[in-house]
Amino acid sequence: MGAINTHFVPALDGVAYGLLLFVAAAGLTLLFGIGGVLNIAHGTLFALGGYLAASVSDGSWSSAFLGLAVATVGGTLCGGLLAAGTLPLADRGHLPQALLTFGLSLVGADVLTTVYGTDEHPVVIPKSVNGTVQIFGHVYPTYRLMFIVVASVLALVGTYVLGRTRAGALLRAAADDREMVGAMGYAPWRVHAALCGAAGALAGLAGGLGAPIIGPGPDTADKVLMLSMVVIVLGRPGSVLGAFGAAIAVGEIETLGVSISSNWAPYLLFGLMAVALVVRTFRGSSAVGAGAAAGAHA
Amino acid sequence: MFSSRVSVRLRAAVAVGAVTALAAAGCSSSTSSKSSAKGNAPINIGLITALTGSNQALGPDHLNGFQLYLDTHNDMLGGHKVSLKVGDEANGGAAAVPVAKKMIEQDHVLAIAGIVATPTIQAVVPIATAAGVPVVNTGGRPTVKDVSHLWTMSFMSTDPGASMGPYMAQNVPGSVYAFGPDYQGGYDQLRGFTDAYTKAGGKLANDGGKATFTPFPNTTDFTPFLSKVKASGAKAIYCFYTGQNAIDFVKDWSQSDAKDIPLYAAGFITEGGALKAEGQAANGIITTMNYSPDISSAANRQFVSAWSQKYNGEAPPATAMYSWDAASVLDQAIAKAGPNPTPDAVNSAIKAMGQIDSPRGTWQLSADTHVPVQKWYLRKVEMDGTALANVKIGDLATIGS
Repeated sequence: MGAINTHFVPALDGVAYGLLLFVAAAGLTLLFGIGGVLNIAHGTLFALGGYLAASVSDGSWSSAFLGLAVATVGGTLCGGLLAAGTLPLADRGHLPQALLTFGLSLVGADVLTTVYGTDEHPVVIPKSVNGTVQIFGHVYPTYRLMFIVVASVLALVGTYVLGRTRAGALLRAAADDREMVGAMGYAPWRVHAALCGAAGALAGLAGGLGAPIIGPGPDTADKVLMLSMVVIVLGRPGSVLGAFGAAIAVGEIETLGVSISSNWAPYLLFGLMAVALVVRTFRGSSAVGAGAAAGAHA
Repeated sequence: MFSSRVSVRLRAAVAVGAVTALAAAGCSSSTSSKSSAKGNAPINIGLITALTGSNQALGPDHLNGFQLYLDTHNDMLGGHKVSLKVGDEANGGAAAVPVAKKMIEQDHVLAIAGIVATPTIQAVVPIATAAGVPVVNTGGRPTVKDVSHLWTMSFMSTDPGASMGPYMAQNVPGSVYAFGPDYQGGYDQLRGFTDAYTKAGGKLANDGGKATFTPFPNTTDFTPFLSKVKASGAKAIYCFYTGQNAIDFVKDWSQSDAKDIPLYAAGFITEGGALKAEGQAANGIITTMNYSPDISSAANRQFVSAWSQKYNGEAPPATAMYSWDAASVLDQAIAKAGPNPTPDAVNSAIKAMGQIDSPRGTWQLSADTHVPVQKWYLRKVEMDGTALANVKIGDLATIGS
């Protein structure tokens, strides 16, 4: 009971952090797994969303929703830009795309520091969610609790749209056979643009939602890109369920794992990632299996 | 507030552009100015700081403090018109070597000021020492073998903790939980604290009685680390964090089980932009620093009013004050180095310098380490008018050797 009491907050926080990673990685896994575009500028789109949300936030609910809207629209527009840039490279494999988006991420990062400066930007969230709540005698930030709910809804909606709607089916079909989708009367460039736009929108929205936890600053883009990469590699690109499992596993490793063995904190994430990859290579197991394996070690 | 930051960046960019343009124009101008050896010939001073790269949030303050001194002293140091050659150390270390070489070999600078990152010190100081050029350093100070030409305006990494340790041993009714980032600077800072604290009779509450080091720079969520503090029975926390780490740590602390346990820290946790980003979460944090903008002295009032006039009424960060002092030390040393000052003469004059009257109070350079022997102040984050500020609430020990 004592151990459960000590590790309760880290375990709960692991869910919040894992969901944050899932929301952050969703746009990347969509674009990479389904669209085949390796978007190195993903973290920059996240940071852009955070900066946009921070710049309109003033502590009122209307400004919070406006911030999310502005972040989503900004992400969508930049996604469109990305679509235009990557379309000519669509048949050239991942490397030219990675190079292009890497260049765009450098330009984007410099534009962001020129406009917003090099300081970290505070996001002023509404007072009613800025405080803390008591859960089983422990203090926990209200915003993170709310984030768990919002991110869960987002994950459900995303899974539904991709798996059960016509638009989702079209995207998945385009990933399997572009030419057939074209023959059905959907121009491939339009599907590509829609995918990039949706991925950009997700990244921007995640940036806006996550800004109170991973604040927008000059390091945000790199940090988010790295964690998102870890999530999609562990969860297998394109698999929403896999990304979800991997994100929660990484979240728990970074919180519960740290609280159980803080001496190993610097090595936990990448050590367990290495274990998961080696195990997967030998077993050829499914994405969910890899996520569960990592979770069991945590 | 954002526009002021933009203008700072623009200014820095223009300064870099100007230096590049001068370099492109060839070294003929600098050699001709050097050969015209009349009474008060203009002099070149180098200033290396981080204008791009991972330390770019810190770089401008190093430049702006020095520039402010020049602005308020007719662009003169020791009676000579100064041409300031600004160089970018980028991510620090080897990147600064060509910058320093150009300053020494082409610009024939009298001295090099600034330098943010400790690897840059290790790369630049041997080159400058070989050429006899003094380095007046305003950023971090690593261990250096030959300090004959290195003069530090800031502090030794162990000093902030050493000033706070005995105070907390006396005033905290119980044990203290200590945190720091997992890199050399973090170890030095925490060693300074734990050595002084345990020597004064204090006891750490951490597991195994040793300070906890959080992975750097990848820790964004400190909640799991903080969850152990309350269970340990600690009566206070001491930590050293800077930049993004500082902001995340303060926010997570203020919304955790440990929020009622007082937070003590090395002053960087609430300096400048960090305090703004932390907002109300930082209210009540107690820090140690060798500077507070509300120190009551003529030298400090002059510095603070000049800074706030130029930067929209903001209070100056400690870093800008170190840079102001670098200019002030050079001003006095060059004045003593005669009508045709040489780098060697300037270096000797700095060595012979006694007490320095500074915005932080009077201090002097240690004859041994060339680091300030100075007083440390106890500060508390409080509402000062309409904004949160680091308000001085007492004096700590004088530290340095």
